[in-house]
Amino acid sequence: MADPPPYPGAPRWVKVSGIAVGGMILLAVILMIAGVGGPHGPGRHMTGTDTPGDRAPPGGGHR
Amino acid sequence: MSMSPGRRKLVLAAHIMVSVGWLGAVAAYLGLAVAAVVTPDAETVRAAWIAMELTGWFVIVPLALASLLTGLVNAVGTPWGLFRHYWVLFKLLLTVFATAILLQHMPTVSAIARVVTETESAHLLPAGVRSDLVHAGGALLVLLVTAILAVYKPQGLTRYGWRKQHEQRTLSQP
Repeated sequence: MADPPPYPGAPRWVKVSGIAVGGMILLAVILMIAGVGGPHGPGRHMTGTDTPGDRAPPGGGHR
Repeated sequence: MSMSPGRRKLVLAAHIMVSVGWLGAVAAYLGLAVAAVVTPDAETVRAAWIAMELTGWFVIVPLALASLLTGLVNAVGTPWGLFRHYWVLFKLLLTVFATAILLQHMPTVSAIARVVTETESAHLLPAGVRSDLVHAGGALLVLLVTAILAVYKPQGLTRYGWRKQHEQRTLSQP
C-alpha cells in the first residue's frame, strides 16, 4: 500500500479553539488556586458542624 | 462497525432528542439559579434550590449520560468515527468534560439544597452560597458549542482520520 500524502495539519478553527479552551482552563485553574469563588465541594457551603457530607440522590422530598 | 440506515436514524434521533433535552433542562436550571440569587424571598430561594436539586439528579444527569452514550454509538456506528474528524472529537471532549463536572458538582447542589431548607433566613445567606450561576452558565455555553459543532460540522481531519481516509481510498481503487 502506498504511503499516504503528507498530513496538511489541523485547520485554523481547531488551533484557535484549542488556544481559547486552553486559556479558559488555565484561567479557571488560576482562579481556583487563588481562592476566587472559595473552595469547591459540598463542605464549602456548610457552617460549623452542620456538614452533612455527600448525599445520595434525593429520595423523595425535603423537610 | 457500521449500522444499518434505519438503526442509524434511530440512534441519531435519540441523540438529538436527549441532547436538546439536556440543553433545555440546563436552561431551566439556569432560570432557577437566577431566581435563587435575585429574589428577596426566603421561600423562593428554598423552592428554587429544591427544584434545582431534583432537576439536576432526575433530569440533567440522566440526559447527560444518555447524550454521551448515544453520541458514542452514533459516532462508532457511522463513517464519522470517533477520532477521525476534529468536530466529533471536540464534541466528545466537551460532553465528557461537562458530564464529569456535572457528576462532581451535584453533591454540592444537594448540600446547598439541604442548607437552604434548614435555614430560616435562606434569602440572607451570602450570594456566593446561594449562587450556582457560574456552573449553570458554563454548562449552557458548552452545550451551545456542541450543538453548533453538530449543525455546522466544520471540516478538518485528524492525523488518524487522514490515514484512514487514505487507506479506504486505496482499498476502493481497483
